Amino acid sequence: MKLGTVANYTLLVVGSIIVAFPLLVALSYSFMSESEIATFPPPIFSAAPTLDNYGTVFATIPIGRYLLNSFVVSSAVVIGQLLTASLAAYAFSFLVFRGRQLLFFLFLSTLMIPWEATIIPNYMTIRTIGWLDTYQGLAVPFMATAFGTFLLRQAFLQIPRELWDAARIDGATTFRFLVSTVIPLSRPALGTVAIYGFLSTYNQYFWPLLITNQTLMRTTQVGIAQLRFEETLRWGLVMAGVIMVAVPTLALLVLGQRQLIRGLTAGAVKG
Amino acid sequence: MRKFLGFALALSVVAAACGGTTSTGGTTPSGGAADMSALAPAKDVAPAARITWWHAMSGVNGDAVKKIVDGFNSSQSKIKVEAIFQGTYDDLLAKLNTALASNAAPALVQVYDIGQRYMYDSGQVVPMQAFIDRDKFNTSDFEPAVINYYKYQDKLQSMPFNASTPVLYYNKDAFKEVGLDPTKPPVTFTEIADAAKKLTKKDASGATVRYGFGPSIYGWLFEQLMATSGALYADNGNGRDNRATQVVYNSAAGKAILDWWKAGVNGGYFYNPGIDNDGAANAFNAQKSAMYIESTARMRGHITTIAGKFELGIGLYPRPDSKPATGGNIIGGASLYIMKSRPAPEQQAAWEFVKYAMSPAVQAQWQSDTGYYPVVKSAYDQGPSKDFSTKYPQFQTAISEIRDSPQNRMTNGAVLGVMPQARQRTQKMIEAVLLGQASSQDALNAAVTDMNAAIDKYNKANP
Repeated sequence: MKLGTVANYTLLVVGSIIVAFPLLVALSYSFMSESEIATFPPPIFSAAPTLDNYGTVFATIPIGRYLLNSFVVSSAVVIGQLLTASLAAYAFSFLVFRGRQLLFFLFLSTLMIPWEATIIPNYMTIRTIGWLDTYQGLAVPFMATAFGTFLLRQAFLQIPRELWDAARIDGATTFRFLVSTVIPLSRPALGTVAIYGFLSTYNQYFWPLLITNQTLMRTTQVGIAQLRFEETLRWGLVMAGVIMVAVPTLALLVLGQRQLIRGLTAGAVKG
Repeated sequence: MRKFLGFALALSVVAAACGGTTSTGGTTPSGGAADMSALAPAKDVAPAARITWWHAMSGVNGDAVKKIVDGFNSSQSKIKVEAIFQGTYDDLLAKLNTALASNAAPALVQVYDIGQRYMYDSGQVVPMQAFIDRDKFNTSDFEPAVINYYKYQDKLQSMPFNASTPVLYYNKDAFKEVGLDPTKPPVTFTEIADAAKKLTKKDASGATVRYGFGPSIYGWLFEQLMATSGALYADNGNGRDNRATQVVYNSAAGKAILDWWKAGVNGGYFYNPGIDNDGAANAFNAQKSAMYIESTARMRGHITTIAGKFELGIGLYPRPDSKPATGGNIIGGASLYIMKSRPAPEQQAAWEFVKYAMSPAVQAQWQSDTGYYPVVKSAYDQGPSKDFSTKYPQFQTAISEIRDSPQNRMTNGAVLGVMPQARQRTQKMIEAVLLGQASSQDALNAAVTDMNAAIDKYNKANP
């Protein structure tokens, strides 16, 4: 029994080191000078740690502004997705109407459309409305999510039908039931949708690049690309930028971890 | 690195379909000495007050771009240029394709060397030659090797902006250590192989601690080796007399290159970092390889990173033992295109800016800030360029490399609409040979067959 626990933990420690290794190396490299990185074999820890790389990042790109932009856009997308996905999922799980199943499958089938196929029409729409270089242009196209709707529908289906009947008998409106029963009971699933939406928006590269032209409207991923020079790669600099961009998402992951784990497995086993 | 272009090409097809901007290749020059002035706006069109320029220069080079634009904007009061960084060359091209579909393209764009034929076939470009003919603009001061790369049927399509060539980088300290003359870097295939054998060092256990020579598997390097061999890469004069219909590098010259490369790797004196340009550069910095070949644009980066740990030498690019007189190096880098979809005043303003950017003083500053070649020869007489030569005497070798390259179709380099794909295919080809999966000739033939099919498809899609 004891031995089993030790073995388990050893395995977990080894596993987590392997998983975290790239990130730890990035962290370590971000404190190294370029010539130290170039020594062979490459050192794991810096002999003379320096903050120069971070200084250069600040001097090269307005990283603070990029982080702010990414946060504004990602948060807006999360709010939008939670609103649209929960309402749609509610309709698909509780309301009975003609063609519900068909509509749901139609909804799901949009998951099969690759984003490359929609990018030009989306771009043209955004340009026609005059939303290039705006927060709404960056956020609005992603405010509805088929994946989130699907996830929430599965979570909502877990809620006993009896609650619905009871609420109706007590005279609750459809909307009231959603707000006071369904939403509170589905917090883990909503948390999952929120974190997933946040991270995928935060990590977007091509769309923000496409529709922004002003430096001040750019997001982090486009921003750190500017640290990559076409001819010479300065690892220390790139890693410093990557660490600065990754820290907020890591913080979010740590804070939301419990929600995420509970949420993703919700409904995995019917029971 | 070039993975986006395939996507860009796909986008352009979609874009043409939904935007109704189907091009008919309207920029086809009438060939020969015909004057192209008519394609440019009339000379008396007043330039627009504001134009946008998309570029792909980040970091130090991005700062240098900003310097040029600020200089232009304060040098006169009529035109204001706004320079926008649009990611890598591939990102920029993908974005350009999307923007063209809805008339959101800028007046001036920087596109990389291998996007040349693609830009031409898009029919969205006003050839630079049109402005040159209209203004009787004197191009005799331009570096021939640089300007010739951007010509099709002897007409300049775009203005070269950042230019570089590959050279041999070598570790002078390692040369001294093994008794090689550090002032005489090897040039021919045999010389390089011999030097590499001497430079290769093993430890007590027999593991190699230093290889003699460690080039990345990089398609551009193969194209350059074909050029220094004085051999054609594609038909129709490397696609410069007429559009190329096939690639022809499965020749004796191509085989000699691969055989040499493979013998070195098999013999254990060439290091094979794989398809990894940064890996090859890092191995050289870390003294894991004593020589390698890469672009002159990396020189300053090397000097910073090496930080005096060893002395850096720069030599001429490798060539066959016969040193063919028709062989030389091709220019790489990027050039500036004036876009046809913008109104005449904007094109006019873009041309004014291009002329400013090509002035000797600006070019000298650009060289000093970035390490690229100046496009105009008289830039070398300017202060910043002289300071640069004093600071980096190694650069002199690079200059003589392009000066001494004879100008012919082989050294002008190949232009193909599918150049990015061709480059990737040659990389796969070299890799297959080095890993012993195919003989040199078989690998060459397979690559040529694949590419000819791709060229055929491209040519049919872009009549």
